[in-house]
Amino acid sequence: MSTRPRRPHAAARIAALLVAVAVLVAPASPAAAHNTLRASEPAAAARLTAPPTRISLTFLQKLDPAFTTIVLSDAEQRKVPTGAPVVADATGTVTIDRPLANGAYTVAYRVVSADGHPVQGSYAFTVDDPSASPAPAVSTPDAAGPATSSGRSAGAGPWPLAAGVLLVIVVAGGVVLLRRRRGTA
Amino acid sequence: MTTTSDRPVSRRGLLTGSALATGGALTGAATLRLTADGPGAVQVPVAQVGGAVEPFHGARQAGVATEPQAHATFVAFTLKPGTDRAALGRLLRLLSDDAARLTRGRPALADTEPELGLLPARLTVTFGFGPGLYAAAGLGDRRPPSVAELPAFRIDRLQPRWSGGDLLLQICADDPLTVAHAQRVVIKDSRPFAAVRWVQQGFRRAAGAEPGRTQRNLFGQLDGTANPTPGAPTDAAVWVPDGPAWLRDSTTLVVRRISMNLETWDLLGRTDRELAVGRRLDTGAPLTGTAEHDEPDFAATGPDGLTVIPDFSHLTRAHVTDDRQKILRRPYNYDGTPTADGHADSGLIFTSYQADVTRQFLPIQRRLAERDLLNEWTTPIGSAVFAIPPGCPEGGWIGQQLLG
Repeated sequence: MSTRPRRPHAAARIAALLVAVAVLVAPASPAAAHNTLRASEPAAAARLTAPPTRISLTFLQKLDPAFTTIVLSDAEQRKVPTGAPVVADATGTVTIDRPLANGAYTVAYRVVSADGHPVQGSYAFTVDDPSASPAPAVSTPDAAGPATSSGRSAGAGPWPLAAGVLLVIVVAGGVVLLRRRRGTA
Repeated sequence: MTTTSDRPVSRRGLLTGSALATGGALTGAATLRLTADGPGAVQVPVAQVGGAVEPFHGARQAGVATEPQAHATFVAFTLKPGTDRAALGRLLRLLSDDAARLTRGRPALADTEPELGLLPARLTVTFGFGPGLYAAAGLGDRRPPSVAELPAFRIDRLQPRWSGGDLLLQICADDPLTVAHAQRVVIKDSRPFAAVRWVQQGFRRAAGAEPGRTQRNLFGQLDGTANPTPGAPTDAAVWVPDGPAWLRDSTTLVVRRISMNLETWDLLGRTDRELAVGRRLDTGAPLTGTAEHDEPDFAATGPDGLTVIPDFSHLTRAHVTDDRQKILRRPYNYDGTPTADGHADSGLIFTSYQADVTRQFLPIQRRLAERDLLNEWTTPIGSAVFAIPPGCPEGGWIGQQLLG
């Protein structure tokens, strides 16, 4: 008799799969304790009619000056000179050495959470000063919203994965049910 | 029985799972298979390990440039009052004789367990002199200036039970029983002269497990990649080239006990770990390279403008380009008893040899203390500095140039 003892194993496998899914989908608890960018000036995706003279990033947690990096680069990915970050509590500020020409810019940051996790991300803004001399022809990516990462790749997070796994469960469950019916029939 | 027939399947599943999780697990499994089945299974010739000898006598002491053995114990002593220059001479003659015999596989004089002295397994016994030894001998003016207590660092949480010492014996061998016996012998012979101050025991991979490979610490990192290249550069960085007889061919040793917080390190994702270290965990390559010994490119930036290797990474802060400024690390892992709730007592017995502590070790240590993200998960809990005096010829004794 081989069919009878198999069923409980199929069920056990489904249970194991469920546990695995739970582990995968449940957010790792320390993630909640990580530092994140709360506000910025210029704001992400801003289109400014006057060039900014500084960049100011405010985070969820107090910053450590030794572990705070803010980098500004232009549409050609060239570094734009700025001062060293000045940290006041949860805000890090750099002054921009020279007035920015019209065009797209990227602000990137790398800071450290209170628990030591490195946090890095970037966002874009555009300077479009009508009074400025004609802007150099810029073919820039859209001024995108903020992208952050803490080790993991930025963006979608675990949900597409979860959806995929869920699909697998549903299909597997269906197969098992079908088999079971056939067995009893 | 369905349960037994089911077992291989689930075990295979488990293997695949772990192999997917880490590349290291995959290679580990492959190696295990190689030795477990297969008629021509690879075997380490154990007899050769046990019988291998590292010469004790020579211009320089063994146990520094020696390819690190698998096991080590560091025994630090506090000299008893009255152990003066003459008494130190008697003690060091005795200990040198023990070391000379045991390192070639002969029992020590009046060895109470002579059978334990027969397998040297590349035993080395390396002598270190702390600042207190020079003072006790009335030879303070012969103490190398950098052999002194290190300045305090912000990150230090030093405990007296792991710090200081007048005399150090570093005992290393590829066999733990050999180490234990040698430790027993030298402690017994030191009793009239000195009290045991602290003992630190450490380990690396077993002999022959990964010949020539950089050792891994308990964070899984390769540890010691940036050691000076063997040969002339090592010589210049490690050994004192000239001076009076008690200095020439000497070196210095910094021993730091670094507690590693595995509980919080476990909370870090792999990418975060690699950002903190500045290297890939699997290959040890810098984040800008592909192989362990690739030169890191600290200026390389990603598309967002951030440097690929963070400026706070351990690699960035510890990096030294000039070979003469490098330190020779010879670390051992320690793994104590976990607490009842399973928290590890793990870390590193950090040892570094350099011609001059002030010129070579301190600048690196200052940079690390100031800004190394790895400090978040590591804490120095012990610290000691010793001069490693020159070696001695056959029939001589360690320290004879200084005390004789």
